[in-house]
Amino acid sequence: MPTLAPEATESLVAPWADWARRYTRGRRLLEAGTYALTEGAIAAGCRVFAGYPITPATDIAEYMSKRLPQVGGYYVQCEDELAGMHACAGASLGGLKAMTATSGPGYTLMHDAYGWAVTNEIPLVVVDAMRVGPISGITGAPGQGEFYVARYCTHGGNFETIVLSPSSVQEAFWLTLDAFNLAERFRTPVTILTDQVVSDMWEDLFIPEDYEALDCVVPRKHNLTMPFYPVGTAELDVAPNVIGHGTGVCVSAYTHTEEGYDIEEMEAQWAQSYRLVNKIRHHRAELTRHETLGLEDAEVVAVAYGANARTVKTGVLEARRRGVRAGFIRPITLWPFLDELYAADRRYVVCELNYDGQLVREVMRAAPDKGKVHFMGKSAELHTVAEVVEGLQGVARDGRVPELPYIWTAIR
Amino acid sequence: MALFKTAKKPARGPAGRWDVVIAEDMCKACGFCLGVCPTDVFAWRTAPNRLGWFPMYTARESECVGCMLCYQICPDFCIDVTPKALPAGAEGAR
Amino acid sequence: MNKLAKKYLRPSQIPTKACHGCGIGMIENWILQAIDELGLAQDDVIFGTGIGCVGRQTYATWGGDNFGATHGRALAVATGLKLAQPDKKYVVVVGDGDAASIGTSHLVHAARRNLGVTVICEDNMGYESTGGQFSPTTPAGYVTNSSPYGMVEPPFDPCDVVKAAGATFVAETTATQWHQTVKVVKQALQNDGFSFVHVRFPCNENFGAYALGTRDTLKNLEWIYEHTQGRKADGSETDFVWETGVKHDASNSRPEFSRVMREMNARVRAKMAAKANGGTA
Repeated sequence: MPTLAPEATESLVAPWADWARRYTRGRRLLEAGTYALTEGAIAAGCRVFAGYPITPATDIAEYMSKRLPQVGGYYVQCEDELAGMHACAGASLGGLKAMTATSGPGYTLMHDAYGWAVTNEIPLVVVDAMRVGPISGITGAPGQGEFYVARYCTHGGNFETIVLSPSSVQEAFWLTLDAFNLAERFRTPVTILTDQVVSDMWEDLFIPEDYEALDCVVPRKHNLTMPFYPVGTAELDVAPNVIGHGTGVCVSAYTHTEEGYDIEEMEAQWAQSYRLVNKIRHHRAELTRHETLGLEDAEVVAVAYGANARTVKTGVLEARRRGVRAGFIRPITLWPFLDELYAADRRYVVCELNYDGQLVREVMRAAPDKGKVHFMGKSAELHTVAEVVEGLQGVARDGRVPELPYIWTAIR
Repeated sequence: MALFKTAKKPARGPAGRWDVVIAEDMCKACGFCLGVCPTDVFAWRTAPNRLGWFPMYTARESECVGCMLCYQICPDFCIDVTPKALPAGAEGAR
Repeated sequence: MNKLAKKYLRPSQIPTKACHGCGIGMIENWILQAIDELGLAQDDVIFGTGIGCVGRQTYATWGGDNFGATHGRALAVATGLKLAQPDKKYVVVVGDGDAASIGTSHLVHAARRNLGVTVICEDNMGYESTGGQFSPTTPAGYVTNSSPYGMVEPPFDPCDVVKAAGATFVAETTATQWHQTVKVVKQALQNDGFSFVHVRFPCNENFGAYALGTRDTLKNLEWIYEHTQGRKADGSETDFVWETGVKHDASNSRPEFSRVMREMNARVRAKMAAKANGGTA
């Protein structure tokens, strides 16, 4: 059993580090990630789920179909994912917190709806349980191919996005609650990138017993006055707009004014873009969530998120046991990208569940020396602890990842 | 029978009991009201409005028989046809 | 502005972006008459539109709460919105592209669910906003921007589609049938379920120019009139005639979608309460 060297410290920066201490009355279950994602949403006040069944997110749809009527909510099984996310946007506009869940093939159908939600500042939560691709790929295998797609979730540019990724069933519960809070505060769709492993695996899960008593939940408020869209400002915590309260709000696909009707002027485009980009960029401090290990003395740092972060972390501990000064960074907030985590000049080994290299490109951009950023790409299965150890040892010793079968190291 | 009546007839029966108001600054000069009017109430202005169209105007309100076809057919919400307020004591006055 | 426009519309958006000779504005005038005759206030009605001429020229003209969805998705948005705001009247104004082409899937399922909205499909028989390409409702054989040798695909009537899918009120009129349109829109709004009103109207700028060979506004509206009557002014028959009138009226005969959902919730919660009070499941 690998042991931690005495001077290596672990840290978790996330609201649930505090929540787990605060809410201690509840039930302890053995459950799957999909169950945790569902209960996290219900706890946050989600009352509409509109989506389409797709492996491995299907269980979320089924749980929602059972749970939502119990809490006075609505489960709508739409004709496709495009309709599902649009229906969620409609429900959110009407005043109900809404969520949809899908996998890659359904996620690509949601670009249109994402654009509508982003431009109209509609709070939503979207779960993408990634699997290996492209397209249908292998139905029951994990992937991490939507890293960039989640950031560039719609066309046209001029926006920022919020993307989070859990790596355990317990974290999936709290993170979903957090995602709903961020959606309300930032008036935007928040994407939860999970994968087939985190969604389907069964783990120890604690659920607080009284959802009404969760004072950490940001409740839905209604914006009843102009401006409906404070264009040209980066204000946080603006209440979401609502249709049906007689405010006269306009919601559309076009570049809009403060009132929401369409306007074809460059100045309006500037003001709208200012808001959509800076409401997130100027408040990055509210969005920082990550886990780290051993950074105070690490010479080579493994970087991973989601499911494979579990085996990578174990690999880091094992490497330390074998004398490598290894560290670990797990970004929980994927976007806006946490550049500051990679500010130190050392070697980074980015372990991703894809062969084309996505997270690694962002780490290369953020790190002071991109020549010291290494790639260990794998698909359809998690990185094994042995692969991670060999990779870290190789980088520490020779400055490169050794040849390993089914591990890609080339990015170009 | 055509929709639009090129041959206008003089009004028969009660005419001139309606206010016919056109919002000339919103008119896009489609010509439907003039075409559908049976009694030749409308005519074209000779100077353009701020939209760049030569708008319609109520040239002969006294010819209006209140058929409301112009109100129904205007695509730009320009036309209002309302009964004139009659002097007190007159037949049909409220 | 006429009185109903003053009562219901958003002054900053009038005059609309519609072209000279376009029929969208007159249909909107008739919709306002129907709303007014039913005694509805601005706050009682939520307007939804799509993309294209009908979507764009109508969007934001309504003075109350309104939305303009992406192309074809107005009914998908309405499906979620209706659950959150079930007590409002919904008027969803879409074109033939939105309803009969890109959004037909959502149209079919909204009809199947009997979603409580009134869809006004304003049909100018082509994609006129992008210049005049043909659409699934362009009459067979007509020359358009993208059928320079004549449209070889057969068109279909979205009325048939929604009726088969379960719509509880279906009617068709044209832009020369003002009284009939006001009447069927009123009937449509009084159906607590999926109502579909299909209104054919002229496009002067594109369909008129390329398919009919003229930008004479009167000639293009006459063409609509002739195909409504089935006869030209000289008495000869037209190449086809539209079947207008109420095509299907099963108003209020089937439960509306959001109502069904609320009733299910009530049943589930009653059962939970009974169980909690010690009753048998």
